[in-house]
Amino acid sequence: MGRTLRDALIALGIVFGVGSGAMLLAHVSPIDGFGALFDGALGNASELAETLLQTTALLFPALGIALAFRAGLFNIGAEGQIVLGGMTAGILGVALPLPGPLLIPVVLVAGACAGGLWGGLAGFLKARFGANEVISTLMLNTIAILLATYLIGGPFKQPGAGAAETPQLPPAAWLPVLVPNSRLSVSFLIALALAAALQYAFHRTVFGYELRAAGKAPEAARRAGIDLGRTAFSAMALSGAIAGLGGATIVMGVLHRFNTGLSPGYGFVAIAVALVGNLEPLFIIIAAFGFGILQSGAIAMQAEANVPRDIVTLIEGLVIVALAGRRFVAERRTS
Amino acid sequence: MSDFGGALLALLALTLVKATPLIYAALGGVLSERSGVVNIGLEGILTAAAFFAVVASAATGSPIAGAAAGMVAGAAVAAILAFAATRLGVDQIVAGTGLNIMALGGAAYGLVLVFNQPGASREVPSLGKPGEVVLIALAFALAAALWFALFRTPWGLHVRACGENPRAAEVAGIDALQTRFWAVVIGGAIAALGGVYLSLAELDLYSDGMTAGRGYIALAAVIFGRWNPWGALGAALFFGFFAALQYSLQRAGIPSELMQALPYVAALVALAGFAGRVRAPAADGIPFER
Repeated sequence: MGRTLRDALIALGIVFGVGSGAMLLAHVSPIDGFGALFDGALGNASELAETLLQTTALLFPALGIALAFRAGLFNIGAEGQIVLGGMTAGILGVALPLPGPLLIPVVLVAGACAGGLWGGLAGFLKARFGANEVISTLMLNTIAILLATYLIGGPFKQPGAGAAETPQLPPAAWLPVLVPNSRLSVSFLIALALAAALQYAFHRTVFGYELRAAGKAPEAARRAGIDLGRTAFSAMALSGAIAGLGGATIVMGVLHRFNTGLSPGYGFVAIAVALVGNLEPLFIIIAAFGFGILQSGAIAMQAEANVPRDIVTLIEGLVIVALAGRRFVAERRTS
Repeated sequence: MSDFGGALLALLALTLVKATPLIYAALGGVLSERSGVVNIGLEGILTAAAFFAVVASAATGSPIAGAAAGMVAGAAVAAILAFAATRLGVDQIVAGTGLNIMALGGAAYGLVLVFNQPGASREVPSLGKPGEVVLIALAFALAAALWFALFRTPWGLHVRACGENPRAAEVAGIDALQTRFWAVVIGGAIAALGGVYLSLAELDLYSDGMTAGRGYIALAAVIFGRWNPWGALGAALFFGFFAALQYSLQRAGIPSELMQALPYVAALVALAGFAGRVRAPAADGIPFER
């Protein structure tokens, strides 16, 4: 708890300290800049809904990254997993001739499977060949985007598809809207439920114990009969599946079609979210809301206060550097 | 010369063009990792160098000054990682990832600040063809120089000792933290030349995302090249060849996305195929504390 509080304070210090500095450089008063940011993120119901939508988009990959971190694995591949999960939902949502109540769960699961396959591939390469998951997931990110661009423009091109996007999903495949006149769908509730389930799984199940053991003390875990290769594979596959599910909800709840630009880097910002949340799902919800405010307020800040929104990316990177404390080191390097 | 011969020559020339930034980045990575610090931040170093090279060239009108500024910027980004790795004992991979994101956001922000336009800078005085040739040749020369420095000088022995067993190095009277710090910073300056090449030799401007994951491919080249400058050079040429091949094969009607994926797939396969059979410096990535 103490460390979580300290990390949160560091993150807040960076956001306001560096943010103010960057605004002053752009000749904008930080009061105006942050005022526009918070007003744009929280000023009225529809803006709050948009912030919660960003929160949701960050929450899925952050939970997946936290799961992998707990097993001592760094999944930088969430971005690619989001893209493939979204692509699968975009293609199947149009192509599957299923009735509504069945269509939504099937397409969601298919999206999760696609992300899981991509994460699992990195896990397999790690378990079977010892290939470093950090570099393999970085490669798989680029490959995923190129593969998706190729597939939706080539073999899986559907009638009515535009350039680099699939046709619009039938309304039966749209996730129900949560707040009227907004883009916020039930995916927010799915993400919250998933966080609660993971909080339970991490602390109260054998699987959670095995993850932690493999991450914290791999040699002891191996001697205790935990199959480290299998744990690495399942952690990466699950991590990818959660990110892929997030991609599917963006397609089914927000865009109602897949396009290759569906994620403006959610998979990377989610690393900061997972770290600020100290890998604890319930804290990650709060962290995701904080970064959700930054993401959705940045656009208003740029429009109204003339501060380039890219400072938010700069700040997010700095938060990751500042919180790269040594708590993961022993875990990963001894495996 | 026959058409085939001409095409082959063009392919080889393009291989050199595509490999050069990878060579610089991979050499910087080799030096850093030999000292025991994994440098995931190569991508951010390339980004910062490419950006500040263009800014300085625009400000002074001198592309040489631009190249120097790019190297300083790359070394500065590396110094952040080096400080965090040696003095704060952070997880180097997580910190490097953060640096990459910082550099990307910082350059995009700086673009608006300096050039008053998002997306790309205006065209600035570049090093031109002669500069490009010099930078390509220098990449090969640097590989030779780094090999000599690492394996034939006392300094190189110290660096490698810190990468294998920093505690033993300290017992032998080497300041492991300082040795690591400077290896990472010098590595950053070397890698920065790759960014300078991208923005001031191959092109004459900075645009968002122009490094396009080259820093990551360079990381694979470090492993593929077995943490040896010659090996890294060879691996960078190998990946550069696949990057060049995509242009030749595109003309043959193979979908361009699949061709663009080639170097990344090659890196992935190389990683899986080589991972079990190579040994990283024993203390690579492990923080050292007195």
